[in-house]
Amino acid sequence: MAWIDRLIVIFTKFVSWMSTSFGLGAGETWPGEIALALRPNIARALASKLADGVILIAGTNGKTTTSLMVKTILEDIGESVVHNATGANLLNGVVSSFIRNSDWLGRITADVGVFEIDENSLPVFLRFITPKRIILLNLFRDQLDRYGEVDVIVEKWQNALATLPKSTTVILTSDDPGVASLGTSVKGAVIYFGLNDTPKFLKVHEHATDSTFCPHCGNRLTYEGVYFSHIGVWKCTKCGYTRPKPAVSAWPSPLPGLYNRYNTLAAVALARSIDIPDHEIKKALRNFAPAFGRQEEVMVRGKMIKLFLSKNPAGFNMSLRTVLEMGAKELLLVLNDRIPDGRDVSWIWDVDFEMIPKNVRITVSGDRVYDMELRIKYAGLQAQGEPDLRHALAVKRDTYVLATYSAMLEARKILKGRKIL
Amino acid sequence: MKNRTKIAWLYPDLMSTYGDRGNVIVLRKRCEWRGIKAEIVPVTLETRLSTLENCDIIFMGGAQDRQQKLASADFLKHKGPIVRKMVEHGTPALFVCAAYQFVGHFYKPYRGDKIPGAGIFDLYTEHPGDQAKRLIGNVVAEIVNPHELQGTIMVGFENHGGRTHLGPKMLPLARVIKGFGNNGEDGFEGAIYKNAIGSYFHGPLLPKNPAIADWLLEKVLGSLKPLDDTLEHQANQAAR
Repeated sequence: MAWIDRLIVIFTKFVSWMSTSFGLGAGETWPGEIALALRPNIARALASKLADGVILIAGTNGKTTTSLMVKTILEDIGESVVHNATGANLLNGVVSSFIRNSDWLGRITADVGVFEIDENSLPVFLRFITPKRIILLNLFRDQLDRYGEVDVIVEKWQNALATLPKSTTVILTSDDPGVASLGTSVKGAVIYFGLNDTPKFLKVHEHATDSTFCPHCGNRLTYEGVYFSHIGVWKCTKCGYTRPKPAVSAWPSPLPGLYNRYNTLAAVALARSIDIPDHEIKKALRNFAPAFGRQEEVMVRGKMIKLFLSKNPAGFNMSLRTVLEMGAKELLLVLNDRIPDGRDVSWIWDVDFEMIPKNVRITVSGDRVYDMELRIKYAGLQAQGEPDLRHALAVKRDTYVLATYSAMLEARKILKGRKIL
Repeated sequence: MKNRTKIAWLYPDLMSTYGDRGNVIVLRKRCEWRGIKAEIVPVTLETRLSTLENCDIIFMGGAQDRQQKLASADFLKHKGPIVRKMVEHGTPALFVCAAYQFVGHFYKPYRGDKIPGAGIFDLYTEHPGDQAKRLIGNVVAEIVNPHELQGTIMVGFENHGGRTHLGPKMLPLARVIKGFGNNGEDGFEGAIYKNAIGSYFHGPLLPKNPAIADWLLEKVLGSLKPLDDTLEHQANQAAR
């Protein structure tokens, strides 16, 4: 690391410290932004100081929880981990986390970096940082107005992964056809994780389905069974391309919900790839605490409020399924349409709200409260519209809150007095 | 009055990208609430043409590139000619987003050859080049055609790179109040031909614009009794 890099780290760290001391904000992204403006290649220099390299986690759903699991396991075996703050998942957020981690001499003190990366900026990211390991979880339609189409992202990922050296291990889900197919375009080792749990197959297909066509020949895929959305046990009857056999397929999940089983399998596949013994992984995950807003529990005047970040059709369906399995009788659905949520709220029509039983009480809120209320009406159910989120959160019964990103932050602010941690 | 109807949903597995399902849900529910049985008939690659021919209303939505390629081969050869015949005979239809472009004469990408359309609507679409911005955002427009809906305010979301230009056989559907519409230049949005409507308001066009849903249904079912649309109007107002 050149002296100039260290000087920049010290300088931005000082500016960041001043800003925090004067209450101007914590600076999850802008210290990195300044450092990158001064020295575009600084990320590579910073990452080179990590003895055990960088681990990246990307995918539409589950990257925050998975990266937190990976961090938990690594810290449990005594590694010092630098990790980006949730939501700060572009290059500037990652550089900011290095600056936060450094000492006042501008030295990086961590052994390993664990970063969750925005799916769209992964290709840019790989130009500046070469990870030792990379986990790709899944791809669902999410914020089409911002991210573009799922197929386009698969193609971008494919080109970016092809540039990685042989020394990078790639950990992929076997159950998402688009993601699994990326395994054929990398030079390094590939490890697959996926579920072998036939009783969990869906009886009826969900609507929010993306890549059900063969990534190789374009023919319609045949599914032995679907776990959710387009995730399942698939094969192409035309060209013979088949779901790869997962090396990691069973592990008790510390959190409820099928999607958390996938997150756990991904973290375990990674831990095993660096030879962490199973009993260590088990011990580390035993006390795993969820990331903020992901099944986070808050008590308000003796009533339990559980927050489920739900930001796209596949994620919303999974949240709904999970809370109903947990016996939810009171739901609060909060829909915002700000930049972090996506400005387009069309996607709520792809969520299967029809699965909610009639005896569950539904309240709706958020910037687009009437859009959500209308969606519920056309699902043949009734919802109570409450535009004021503060009123909506003054609950009289235990309540499960399903909210988009900015709505979840708002709910946390009301419930806990602060948006993030 | 008829008490049942069949709604053809073209390529629900290929051309359904972003809440397109909202349109068929609205058509079906607005029938059910009036005691009319509405059946949604999925029409995809393997579906027989006679199944399509037996339907009363047609809906087709948006698509991703790869899926659209699969659908277009089938549509141009098999389903398209049937849809054209049905539209010519007055079958009500709704084509949104990619489907709206696709029922025109052609789509001209900024690079490469023209992609032929089904020629059901007298219009064409061209992409003005990779430097041109995509037209994205909430849209508000005032309906100018058909005359029964004149003055109705329609709201929605658009997200398209192509610019669509109407030929002499088409009437514009609406005048843009906020947003871009067909091409961001002439101030119009959507198009209508006989009882078929095309629009860039993608995904769930009908939920917040129930008057359009009822207009389509009345072409098949005759005069319908009004429903309580308080919530629909609230959502429409809030999106302006």
